Amino acid sequence: MTAVDAPAVEDLLAVTEDVWLALVGDDDPLLPRAVPPGSPFDAAAWSSVTTISGGWQGAVTVELDEALARRLTTQMLDLPADEAPSDSDVADAVGELVNMVGGNVKSLMPGPSVLSLPAVAAGRAAFASDTALACRLDLVWRDAPLRISVHIPQEGPR
Amino acid sequence: MRAMIIDDSRAMRSILRRIVTGLDFETSEAEHGQAALDQLHAGVVPDVCLVDWNMPVMDGYTFITEVRANPEWRDITLMMVTTESEQRQIVRALAAGAHEYVIKPFTADAIVDKLSLLGLLPEESAVTA
Repeated sequence: MTAVDAPAVEDLLAVTEDVWLALVGDDDPLLPRAVPPGSPFDAAAWSSVTTISGGWQGAVTVELDEALARRLTTQMLDLPADEAPSDSDVADAVGELVNMVGGNVKSLMPGPSVLSLPAVAAGRAAFASDTALACRLDLVWRDAPLRISVHIPQEGPR
Repeated sequence: MRAMIIDDSRAMRSILRRIVTGLDFETSEAEHGQAALDQLHAGVVPDVCLVDWNMPVMDGYTFITEVRANPEWRDITLMMVTTESEQRQIVRALAAGAHEYVIKPFTADAIVDKLSLLGLLPEESAVTA
């Protein structure tokens, strides 16, 4: 296995907090969530991934609890409290979240690199078998969990 | 003043729309560069375009080069609003004809400041927004 640079967890946290602040304001901050290493995310109802390729290669994945995804969407779209966002709206919001986190992770790593368009799924994220977890954040927002992880290739370019 | 918000994310268009309508802009929206070009060809010509970079169909960089290639649209102010933060990309966008560049995540104040710098806000709005 070739060692590949990965973002530091504190940098990933700083990026995520900045994105969160921009998207939903500062009324309810993200809080850390204690999860044992190696534990699969236990609440994924929505997931989104963006890949970075070029000077640095990796994938940034966001997994969210259903209620959190819908609250995030409601806030981003400024929907009335009694109006439930559609699945399409949630997919859009979750995609923009990973786009912003991924874009800022890209800026932390060696470039030049290209950021892919986000891919969003209803359900748990799937991770390629030839990648390794490099960095992970488990957080809580309004009592609902989310996870952000960065995977990198297990082997360097051939 | 009229602003066209070009971003493939409805959520991001919503966030930007709230900011600029709060500054008394009229807005139109497009989900990618080609849709925005179609609106321009149809006569929906704004004072400023807020343009994402990474979009399907036509990205923001291509949109800017297309707008700058048409003399009829030379008065449109172009502002990139994107996660692309590499210096190389910023230089590319500015060289292609973008006037300003805002990196996501942004605050409402950052958008207001840029619009003010571009002379697109009445003095009163720039101070109070």
